[in-house]
Amino acid sequence: MNQKELENRLSQIKDKLISIEQLPHDRIYLLCESENSYPVNKFVFDDIGARFCIVTGVDSDDCFEILYHYSYDQTGCVITIKAFIRDRENPAIESIAPFLPGAEWIEREIHDILGIDFKNHPNLKRLILADDWPDGVYPLRKEVKK
Amino acid sequence: MNWKIWSLKKSPWVFHVNTGACNNCDIEIVNLLTPKFDVERFGIKLVGSPRHADALLVTGVVTRQAAPRLKEVYRQTPKPCVVFAMGACACDTGIFNAGYHVVGPVDKIIKEVDPNAIIAYVPGCPPKPEAMISGVVKALSAL
Repeated sequence: MNQKELENRLSQIKDKLISIEQLPHDRIYLLCESENSYPVNKFVFDDIGARFCIVTGVDSDDCFEILYHYSYDQTGCVITIKAFIRDRENPAIESIAPFLPGAEWIEREIHDILGIDFKNHPNLKRLILADDWPDGVYPLRKEVKK
Repeated sequence: MNWKIWSLKKSPWVFHVNTGACNNCDIEIVNLLTPKFDVERFGIKLVGSPRHADALLVTGVVTRQAAPRLKEVYRQTPKPCVVFAMGACACDTGIFNAGYHVVGPVDKIIKEVDPNAIIAYVPGCPPKPEAMISGVVKALSAL
């Protein structure tokens, strides 16, 4: 499908999103709450058939953002699903690793450094931090000072 | 001159330790061994175990995970041995200075084990292979 059809296809899932933002013509942001991130990811990966690139975790001032980046290679369009986690005390989001095993390690990494709990993750243990790193200290959170 | 030092200078065997480098210095070290620079003509040879080595070639800033391992490698190296801190990160943590995983530069960690350790510094990001050869020659002639 071409770019126009892709945009129409993405608007089918509008009821699960906060909004759809389109910056340049080949970059689409789907903004959603953390509860809806699983069905939105499944739609983009399974139904649209976009290629999974990577996940990014961001500590914003009042919430955590998890950005799932997909590439739709037929048009070169990059689709980014931006999920907001409003609960700063116990941040949690549904894992996409059950249907997308390639996301397993990056979710473990985000769990290590931002302390986000990925629910239903098959193997959520320490990946990149040192063995003697204290539990419960997440080095890339804003409140942590070196 | 001490006969131990004399024999060490004749043909220093080196063990390469990566304590958290970005691989740029490591690529330049590999370049030293290729026919273009060919440091084996000076008797400098890369060995697979610190127990066979006369010198340690340390690249990269020392991370929290790597610090105890670097100390253990230093303890296992027969003395006298020279520690070469290769690159800006190994010399003085470089751009990783404020990183959460950084313990310190190489000299600080080595001096925790042996305060009288012989440490040579080759700065650069990465140092040129010529600079590395020059650093090794200067360090050995200073012994």
